[in-house]
Amino acid sequence: MFSTGSKYFFGITFLGAIAFAVYMLLIGESAIGGTALFGLVGATALLTGLVLFTRDGSNGEEGVAASTATPTSSIWPLITAVGATLLLVGTITSTVVTLLGVVLLLAALVEWSVLSWSERASSDAAFNAALRKRLLNPIEFPVIAAVGLGVIILSFAQITLAVEKSVGAIAFIVLGSLVLAAGVLFSVRPSLKRGLVTGICVLGAVGIVAAGIAGAGVGMREELVKAKEEGHYMHPECGAEKSKYFDKLPLEGVSATSSVDTHIDLIDGKLVASVQGIAGNQETITVPRSNPTNIVFRNKTDGEYRLVASLGSKMIADGVKEDVVLCTQLIEQGFEQLLILNIPKPAEAGKPFTLTVPGLAGQSIEVIVP
Amino acid sequence: MRHQNTTEHVTNGVNRLAGMRRRVVGAFSGIASAMFLAGCATNAPQDTFQPKGPNAKIIDDLQKPVFAVAGIIGVIVTVAVIMAVIKFRDKGQPIPHQSHGNPALEITLTIIPALILTVVGVFTFRTVFDLAKTDDTEMIINVTGQQWWWEYDYPVQTEYGITKPIITSGQLVIPAGTKVLLRQTSRDVIHSYWIPALNGKRDAVPGRVHLNRIEADKPGIYAGQCTEFCGLSHANMRMEAVALSKADFAKWVANQLKAYTSPAENTLAKEGETVFMNQCVRCHQVNGMKRADGTPVIAAPDENMVSGAAPNLSHLMSRNTFAGAMFDLLNKSCREDVWTADPESFGAKYLSGVSEECLNQKDLRGWLRNAPEMKPMYANPALLTSTGGKYRGMPNLGLTEADIEKLVAYLLTLK
Repeated sequence: MFSTGSKYFFGITFLGAIAFAVYMLLIGESAIGGTALFGLVGATALLTGLVLFTRDGSNGEEGVAASTATPTSSIWPLITAVGATLLLVGTITSTVVTLLGVVLLLAALVEWSVLSWSERASSDAAFNAALRKRLLNPIEFPVIAAVGLGVIILSFAQITLAVEKSVGAIAFIVLGSLVLAAGVLFSVRPSLKRGLVTGICVLGAVGIVAAGIAGAGVGMREELVKAKEEGHYMHPECGAEKSKYFDKLPLEGVSATSSVDTHIDLIDGKLVASVQGIAGNQETITVPRSNPTNIVFRNKTDGEYRLVASLGSKMIADGVKEDVVLCTQLIEQGFEQLLILNIPKPAEAGKPFTLTVPGLAGQSIEVIVP
Repeated sequence: MRHQNTTEHVTNGVNRLAGMRRRVVGAFSGIASAMFLAGCATNAPQDTFQPKGPNAKIIDDLQKPVFAVAGIIGVIVTVAVIMAVIKFRDKGQPIPHQSHGNPALEITLTIIPALILTVVGVFTFRTVFDLAKTDDTEMIINVTGQQWWWEYDYPVQTEYGITKPIITSGQLVIPAGTKVLLRQTSRDVIHSYWIPALNGKRDAVPGRVHLNRIEADKPGIYAGQCTEFCGLSHANMRMEAVALSKADFAKWVANQLKAYTSPAENTLAKEGETVFMNQCVRCHQVNGMKRADGTPVIAAPDENMVSGAAPNLSHLMSRNTFAGAMFDLLNKSCREDVWTADPESFGAKYLSGVSEECLNQKDLRGWLRNAPEMKPMYANPALLTSTGGKYRGMPNLGLTEADIEKLVAYLLTLK
């Protein structure tokens, strides 16, 4: 009654239905998971029906002949075993290992099932192999390419984190140039031997991965380690600097600096504000409540200065208030720092909010929060 | 006899089939005509083909010719397809000679669309740059979107009499004939600000400030709608731009800057103020309100709302809408009176605000009674684990009818 293919899809439908029932009865808090599982059940039920209706697209004779064929060798049982092991090991070590096990098991489930099904599709082994490729190659190639690219990117990131900034930039330029040169060579010389092309690609990839592993072994360069330990990129300092290492240009906040609301410039000892969309310098800036506002402080005066945002006070215990102060780090002339204001209460809540520069009397920009 | 019956039966069947076909064609034509004629409505407040300001006109000047060209091409293609389907339908004739490739025809059919697209592209680029122009801005308003309402704050601009910031919501009030720059952002998810009569759409993105220039030619109300799906009540996130003459705008500013006046003692409104302080100020700010000991009342929406904000209700009754412009504060006849007013008398009618006689009691009371029932919001306390107990809209406060009575009396004093 059931064809080989229909058993496969019927199994997924059955398991999906059980998962749907368990989710809705025992786990489900939102409709999203239930909808997804119900969609899976519906889709596989449709496929089951189609495969049953078409009898796997094969006639009885092929089926009888195919049933006597010997299965081809396969790597998927091994990968299934590795996946299951990682899944179990992950439960007592790390979530990442568990996830890797799940990914391998899912990949093996799909690959092995389709392989088994295709081997029984007809008595022609070549046809069966072509059938498997037709089904799985559109999935395999992009996935393998994405994984490969991810490994290359991760490896290269490890290299740039390990070496000095300037060396990392040079390495990036050199690598980019080599990739470009290889690409040009392959395109202008299509007659190059396949083995040579493969060799160049494999050699390049292995080189980058090996360098990445070496970079990971060496670890991040000193300034990054210090900055991470001291939380430099997250917590601007007020008072004495804790470290000589910090990002003098706010490169860490690419997304923040791509939309600067206000530039506060210290020009010849005077503090001026320029707000996006508003012409001319401003003496006050208006920022919305409960919303991050990106401010960049640029020191254009000789000497080291920092910007201090005094944002009233907040209650930290019954009757106990604490001043809310944010600061940039001390920066020399020609450098800049990012400050993100997120003020929950209107300015009426206390004394005026201000931006000042310690050591410069009379220089203040009022921050108005409506 | 049997032959005659059979013939009659077949004839009846053919007639029935023809009748059915006529009915189907008639119904289809009727629906198509209705849809076509609906596009000709002139009283549609969000009609993109009725520009009321320079920026919208710039868009209109581009879209109408493009629509005309696209329409002509569409008609030609549709007619050609229908003719081909009818003329070459299968009547049992042999398959005609199959030809492959006609370089001259293919090149022609590639070059013509390319030329059309190039011309459209040139004018589109010009329009994009024209719309991006902000250097001659005359007024700035900060616009912040959140689920599911818009907040407007007016920075200090002494040339318009704005000597301290004004904050409002629901209705954006602007002076007519003035180039107004909206600095848009969002507190939670991506929204999109669109008042078709004044300009095109512009996204409001958290962490970014996007600039959007609008200008209204004449006084009046211009309706809009959030055009970026932003959650459960996206469809109810509306906005209205109210354009006033410069003199009327000055009056509006003066009214917004008026100091808060507490209701007289021993009145229902005074009791309403107490209810407001006990219930509403957890999220809603009324500027200038003070407690009995003289300390300012500061709302704390950051502690109760996912977005960290709730509409500031100072001078609420100077607006015509509430709940993200979803409901009118004016009843139907008073609203009609304001919306249909001519530009000369519009300002006076709008500035008269909401009186007790004109108040839309039904919707306001319904909102105070059970807001989530009137506007879909994630406001069920049992379902707030993912937001740490914070609401995405106004919850049901469980107010008694007596409290609602007092609150309505109090809110009517906020002019």
